[in-house]
Amino acid sequence: MAAILGAEVDEEGYLLNIGDWSKEIALAMAAEDEIELTPEHWEVINFLKEYFEEYDFAPAVRVLTKAIAKRLGNDKGNSRYLYSLFPYGPAKQGCRFAGLPKPTGCV
Amino acid sequence: MEKFDTPKLETYLKTPALKSDVMTGSGPFKANADMQKSLGFPGKKVDNWQQVAIEKMGETISKYRSLPVFLDACVKCGACADKCHYFLGTGDPKNMPVARQDLFRSVYRRHFTFAGKYFPKLVGAKEFDESMLDDWYNYFHQCSECRRCSVYCPYGIDTAEITMAAREVMNAIGVGQKYCNQILGKVKKIGNNLGMPEPALRDTLLDLEEEIEEDTGVAVKLPLDHQGAEILLITPSADFFAEPHIDGLIGYAKVFHQSGDSWTLSSYASEGANFGMFIGNYDIMREGALRIRKAALDLGVKRIIVGECGHAWRVAYSFWNTLTGIGDGATDEYALQLQNQLNQNYPQPQHIIEYTYDLIQKGRLTFDKSKNDHRTVTFHDSCNVARGSNMGGIENGQFILPREVIKAACNHFVDMSEGTIKASTFCCGGGGGLLTDDLLELRVKGALPRMQALKQSEEKGGVNTLAALCAICKSQFSKVLPYYDFDPFMVVSVHQLVSEALVLDGENSQQESKAL
Amino acid sequence: MSLTSILFTVFFYLAVSLCLVGVTLKVIQYASTPVPLKIPTAPAPLTKFGVILRMMREVFLFSSLFKASKWTWLFGWLFHWALVLLFIRHLPYFWPGETPEILRQTESLRYAAFPLIFGLSGLLARRFFVDRVRYISAPSDYLLLILLILIALTGALMTFAQFYPDMGKVYAFAEGLITFDWSELPSGGIFLAHIFMVFVLIAIFPISKILHAPGVFFSPTLNQVDDARKKRHISDWAFDKEKNSKGG
Ligand code: SF4
Ligand code: SF4
Repeated sequence: MAAILGAEVDEEGYLLNIGDWSKEIALAMAAEDEIELTPEHWEVINFLKEYFEEYDFAPAVRVLTKAIAKRLGNDKGNSRYLYSLFPYGPAKQGCRFAGLPKPTGCV
Repeated sequence: MEKFDTPKLETYLKTPALKSDVMTGSGPFKANADMQKSLGFPGKKVDNWQQVAIEKMGETISKYRSLPVFLDACVKCGACADKCHYFLGTGDPKNMPVARQDLFRSVYRRHFTFAGKYFPKLVGAKEFDESMLDDWYNYFHQCSECRRCSVYCPYGIDTAEITMAAREVMNAIGVGQKYCNQILGKVKKIGNNLGMPEPALRDTLLDLEEEIEEDTGVAVKLPLDHQGAEILLITPSADFFAEPHIDGLIGYAKVFHQSGDSWTLSSYASEGANFGMFIGNYDIMREGALRIRKAALDLGVKRIIVGECGHAWRVAYSFWNTLTGIGDGATDEYALQLQNQLNQNYPQPQHIIEYTYDLIQKGRLTFDKSKNDHRTVTFHDSCNVARGSNMGGIENGQFILPREVIKAACNHFVDMSEGTIKASTFCCGGGGGLLTDDLLELRVKGALPRMQALKQSEEKGGVNTLAALCAICKSQFSKVLPYYDFDPFMVVSVHQLVSEALVLDGENSQQESKAL
Repeated sequence: MSLTSILFTVFFYLAVSLCLVGVTLKVIQYASTPVPLKIPTAPAPLTKFGVILRMMREVFLFSSLFKASKWTWLFGWLFHWALVLLFIRHLPYFWPGETPEILRQTESLRYAAFPLIFGLSGLLARRFFVDRVRYISAPSDYLLLILLILIALTGALMTFAQFYPDMGKVYAFAEGLITFDWSELPSGGIFLAHIFMVFVLIAIFPISKILHAPGVFFSPTLNQVDDARKKRHISDWAFDKEKNSKGG
């Protein structure tokens, strides 16, 4: 099994145990993807984590964009903006950085 | 991050020269023991796998007539060879449909035919050894089961049937694909491909209701588990989660709102997709369909309508009646109960496109087409709809109805060139259980023929919007469009176009009053 | 009778028996294998009549092949129709007693040998020169075409290059095979080669890809009516699963 900063990840780089998550891990994952985490990124990551805490599931992209609109302003509440933050998709890449499991299905 | 080159779009689609083994490899990630076992497959490759595999082959050949007929009848004419998007995009000869079948056929000949048993070299019969299994795993996960090849074969040989059988055989020996099997496990446990639990679904739907009301001033509902509703909507769970899918869901809700028919989603059967088909497993496919039957019975609905999902519609239209007796003619207790319950004045199930089309025909929907005037739309026929189903009960209805719905909502519609649409449509490149990041190179290259046609229609017809009615197509296009320098946001649901142009009762006055 | 005549006579019956028994077994296998799901492919007919039309278009016109590849269609279509005409052309040999008037008019069908050779050569050339087709060809695929070409060439040599065997003897031999009143073969290497190869062709029918001939009629993608929503389609083994169905 592969690992990042000692935490086990699956073959696609998602944490096996959400409890292993730390800011350092998020930073390390982002560094691997050549992304520098800005406060906006953290806003997304934090929302993902909060939502997951409550629903045991990642938010739908639309739910995420609306939450981000509330937090960062309407001009940033759209998936185009979120894609600019997470080029591999806010759901997939965002969830990985946040330590959540990968969303599966036709997405 | 990618280690591959995106193919260049030329002025027309070229048949590539053979590039042997360019796509060879270890295939997509394999399912782990838990995922395998949750579906009743062996957790890891069984020791006597060859024996088990040959037995399983024998079993499938005796249960599906398509297999012995297709395996025997192929004359190697090569008519199908240049029809597969994965061959056209990669040039790997094993992605020619007939060569893909030959992986199965060579083992079939060796073990099940006279010529192959006694003259293996002469007829290209081969042993099922490790390297053959590697090729199976790799290349049967480079087929999206799109059936384009079957349209051109003089005997209708459908490589998808062979691919499904091969995946079934591999699962039986404990070699399964992670993407499909993990998802099927989630359906079993939670009810949908996403693994989205009921509270998250409920919350998402409430969120959407709010959004629609903010946008339009009209309280359009998205009911969940509404007992006694007229219509049960079965849609791919991607419609609850992904972009641009969710705007299609909003479109369905608005159409139901306008029609006045009461409707509901089900948290128990919150999935239209049925990956049981992708892995060729009748029982798993049936289980998925039975979930829907149960939900329909429990909720007491009169009609079942299927949302925008390609293979879901094939399963629903072509297989549901067989699997569960949803329509007519079944004799088991629950099927009979359902048949009595459903309103037989309508075909069961119906596609949401059929539903919307009917309303348009009856003049019950009003559109402000100018809302879509910034778009020049083209339509991608999804394989499973195009080659595995029908709509409207009229010849070629599956090509006519979606286009009519789009044209009712948009002023500018342009088709892509003949030979790339309708029965000849090219796969988006991500169907059949291949919509996974570990197959990204394949997905990008397999999209080439579609991208080629799209580019032509962009240059000649000014197309800037690509409408699709399949969750997989929408996700796949969103992902691969940028590789070919298209805007990933140009892909939309057909019902998003409907949603944008549909005039809701009470909407205008509301907006005017807002303006005041 | 000479040993050669005896051997050829025996071989004929052997080949025909193998063919009949083999094809019958295969047809029984196809017919008795269930079709659990509706899988017609586009453009799928909605009625039985539509299926019949579709089948006729496929069998007589090779319509799918036409869509796929014009050259393969041209070669293949010419070859198959020429073969049918030449088959008819050979019937008089086997007709016991007085040949009916209509069969005596088949003389000019012999020119079908040219499209036959043209079509077969085209198909063989494709196997050699089109890289995709070369890749998928097994030795048997070349050999079958070569066998057919040789049959056509030996036949054409006899007909058009005056290498006639003793025609009286040909008639007697062929008729004898049908009426079980066997007679001596004519002499002539070309003739013997010709019928030998034809007998081989007959013998390998059920163990080769020539099975496409019965196979096409059993192809579920082509022969199914697209009416799954209206009419329930179910196979026996699937039906058995319903006996202990629990509603989902
Ligand atoms: S079914 Fe589609 S993907 Fe599979 S071999 Fe045929 S054309 Fe290719
Ligand atoms: S078109 Fe049909 S018969 Fe011809 S090579 Fe392909 S599968 Fe075989």
